[in-house]
Amino acid sequence: MQTEKPFSAQPTAPLLEGRLHPLTLVLGLITSLRSLIIPAIPILLFGNKFRWGGIGLFGLLLIGTAVTLLIRYFSFSYRIQGRELVTREGLIERKERHIPLDQIHEIRIEQNLLQRVFDVVEAVIETAGAEGAEAKLSVLSRTEAERLREAVAARSAAKKAASSEFPARPETNEREVIRKLGIRDLVVHGLTSNHLLSALAILGAIWAFADDVLPNSIYERMGKFLKVTAGEMFRQGLRAALLALAVGLAGVMIVGLIVSVIGSVVKFFNYTLTRQGDELHRSYGLLTRRASSLPRHRIQVLKVEEGMIRRWFGLATLRADISGSQKEDSDDNKGRDVLLPIAWRDELDALLAVFFPKLAGDGSEWKKVSPLAIRRGAKAGIIILGIITIVVIATTKSWWGLGLGLLAPLVYWLNVKSYHIFGYSLGSQYFRTRQGLLGRAMHIVPIEKSQVIVVRQSPFDRRLNLATLSVDTAGQSYTGGSPSISNLPLDEALQVARTLAGEASRAGTNF
Amino acid sequence: MEARALVETTSQSSLEPFQPLDPRAIKLWRVAEQIAVAVFMLPSLIGVLISSYWQPKAAVLMIAGWGFLTSLWLWHSLWQPPRRYQAWGYRIDDRVLETRSGRIFQTTRLLPLNRLQHVDLQQGPLERMYGLARLELHTAGTQNASLTIPGLAHEEAVRLRDYLVALGDTDAN
Repeated sequence: MQTEKPFSAQPTAPLLEGRLHPLTLVLGLITSLRSLIIPAIPILLFGNKFRWGGIGLFGLLLIGTAVTLLIRYFSFSYRIQGRELVTREGLIERKERHIPLDQIHEIRIEQNLLQRVFDVVEAVIETAGAEGAEAKLSVLSRTEAERLREAVAARSAAKKAASSEFPARPETNEREVIRKLGIRDLVVHGLTSNHLLSALAILGAIWAFADDVLPNSIYERMGKFLKVTAGEMFRQGLRAALLALAVGLAGVMIVGLIVSVIGSVVKFFNYTLTRQGDELHRSYGLLTRRASSLPRHRIQVLKVEEGMIRRWFGLATLRADISGSQKEDSDDNKGRDVLLPIAWRDELDALLAVFFPKLAGDGSEWKKVSPLAIRRGAKAGIIILGIITIVVIATTKSWWGLGLGLLAPLVYWLNVKSYHIFGYSLGSQYFRTRQGLLGRAMHIVPIEKSQVIVVRQSPFDRRLNLATLSVDTAGQSYTGGSPSISNLPLDEALQVARTLAGEASRAGTNF
Repeated sequence: MEARALVETTSQSSLEPFQPLDPRAIKLWRVAEQIAVAVFMLPSLIGVLISSYWQPKAAVLMIAGWGFLTSLWLWHSLWQPPRRYQAWGYRIDDRVLETRSGRIFQTTRLLPLNRLQHVDLQQGPLERMYGLARLELHTAGTQNASLTIPGLAHEEAVRLRDYLVALGDTDAN
C-alpha cells in the first residue's frame, strides 16, 4: 500500500492527486431533499392556494443546490505535492489552500449509513491553528481516503524518525491492536454511564413526541385516570403511594440503563484502537462509522478519568487532547471526546506505556500536598454542614437537625482520605497530577508540551502560605482545563514551577 | 533519563531579582482610573440633580451618597496604583520569563521562552502620553495563552521585544 516517502519528494511531481467522488452530487442532493421533505409535506397536502407556488419554490431550491454541488464537484481538487496538501476550489474566485503535512494533527473519517451503502466517506483534516476543520473532503471513495491518510502518516513518521524523541522502529508498517472493545465492554460502559440523565432525556423526548402526536382527548382521559388512581392511593395510605413512587423510579432507572447501553453499543460498536508506528488510529460505530488518526507525539495532555460509578467497578476512561482541539457540542455524541471509552484499571499501565513510551522509566514518585489541606478542607466542610444544620432546624422547627452534627467526623475523615490521594509527580519527562475522592482524575502532561505555568495564591491561601499550581497546554477541550494542583506550600509550588519551566525551555518546541 | 531531584535543577541562588515596572505606570493607572470616575460619575451627577429637583426631600441624601461614592472611588484611584506597582515584577533570562503580580490574588507566571509564538507591543493614547508601553506575549496555550507586562518604558519594551524575537530566531536555527 505504501508508496515512497513524500519526505524526499521533489515539489514538482504530485504524490497523490484526486477529486471528490462523483457521488458527491447524488448524496448532496439526497441530503438536501431530506431536509426539505418535512417542510414540503404540509404545503403539498394542505396549501391549496400555494401548492404550485410551493412546488416551484422547492424546485428552485433543489436546482440551486444542484448547481452549487456541480460547481463544487467540478472545481474541487486536491493533491499532495512535496510537503503539502493542496486543496483548490471555486469557479469564479479560485481558492487554493496549502496545508503543510506536518501541521496536520488529525484526520477524521466519517461514514454515515447512506454513505456506507455507496462505500464513500467524508474526510476532515484538522490542524492546530484553524478554528474547526482546516479542510473537509466530502465525499471521497474509501480507498482514496485511506491513501490520503497513509500519505500523511508516512510523512509524519518520517519527520518523527528524523527527530530523536521516538526512534524509528523496524515494525513501523505493522499495525498493532492496542485495544478492541467487545459487546461486553460496551454493555459495561453503558451501565456505568450517567444513565439517569439519559432516562430523563428519553422520557422528555417521548413526552414531546406524545405532545405533538396525541390528540387532546387522550390527555384529558389520562389526567382523569391519574387523578382517580392518585386519590385511591392516598385513601389506601402512604405506603402504597411510596411503593408506587419507588416502582416509578425503578422504572425510570431501568429505562435509563437500557437506553444508555443501547447508546454505548451504537456509538462505540467495534471500537478498535490501533497503533502504526507513531500513529494512533481509532475506529468505531454501528450505524455511522467513524475513524480518526492522530500522531501520539501530538498528545498534549492525557487524562485518566475514574468516575464514581466506574471506579467501584475498577474502570476508567481515557481522554486526550492534541493541540488546538476544539470541542464542539456534538462531539460527545460522536464519541470524539474519548481516546478509549472504557479500560480496566489493571490494564492502564500497559495502555499508558503505549501513549507515553517513556512514562514507565520516568522514575518519579508521587508527592502529597501540604497536610494543612486536611484542616482547611475539614473547616470548609464543617462550615457548610453547620449552615445546612441551621437551615434544617429553622425549617423543621425541631432540634433533631442537630443530629447532622454527627456527620462532622465523617467530613474530617473524607478530608484525610483525599489528602492521601491528591498529589503530583514531577519526573524528567512528565508532570502528573492526581485528584478526586469518589471519582478520580489523573492528568499527564509531557513536560515538553507545557506552556505558561501559573502559581496563584488566593487570600485564603496566603494565610496558610499555600498556592495552586497549574500548567497550561495547547489543548484542553476534552481533558477539562489545565492540569492543576492546589494546597501546595508556596515555596514548593514555585520550585516545581521553575523546574517545569526550565525543563520545558530546554525541550524543543513541537506540537 | 534518570529521575532528577528537584533541588538539583533549580539553583535558587542563581535567580536574578525581579525588575520593577516603570514608576510612571503609577501615574498612568491613576489617570486612567480617574478618567473612568469622570466618565461614570459626571453623567450620574446629572441624574442625581434631576431627580433631586423632583424629589427635593431626598436631595441631600442623594447628593451626599453621590459625593461619598465619588470620593471613595477617587481615593481608591490614588491609593491602589502604588500598591499594584509594588506587586508587579518580572525577570527574564535566556530561557524563562517570570512575572509576579496582584495583591489580593498573588500570581506568578512562568513562560518558557521557546514557547513564545509572537510578541505584541501596544501603546494606547494615555500610555503614549507617559512614554509607556505594554508587551503582550502569546503562546499556543489555551487558558493562560497570553501574558501581559504593562507599564514598561517604551524603550525598555522595544528592547525586550527585540531580545525575545532574537531569541526566537536563534531557536529556529
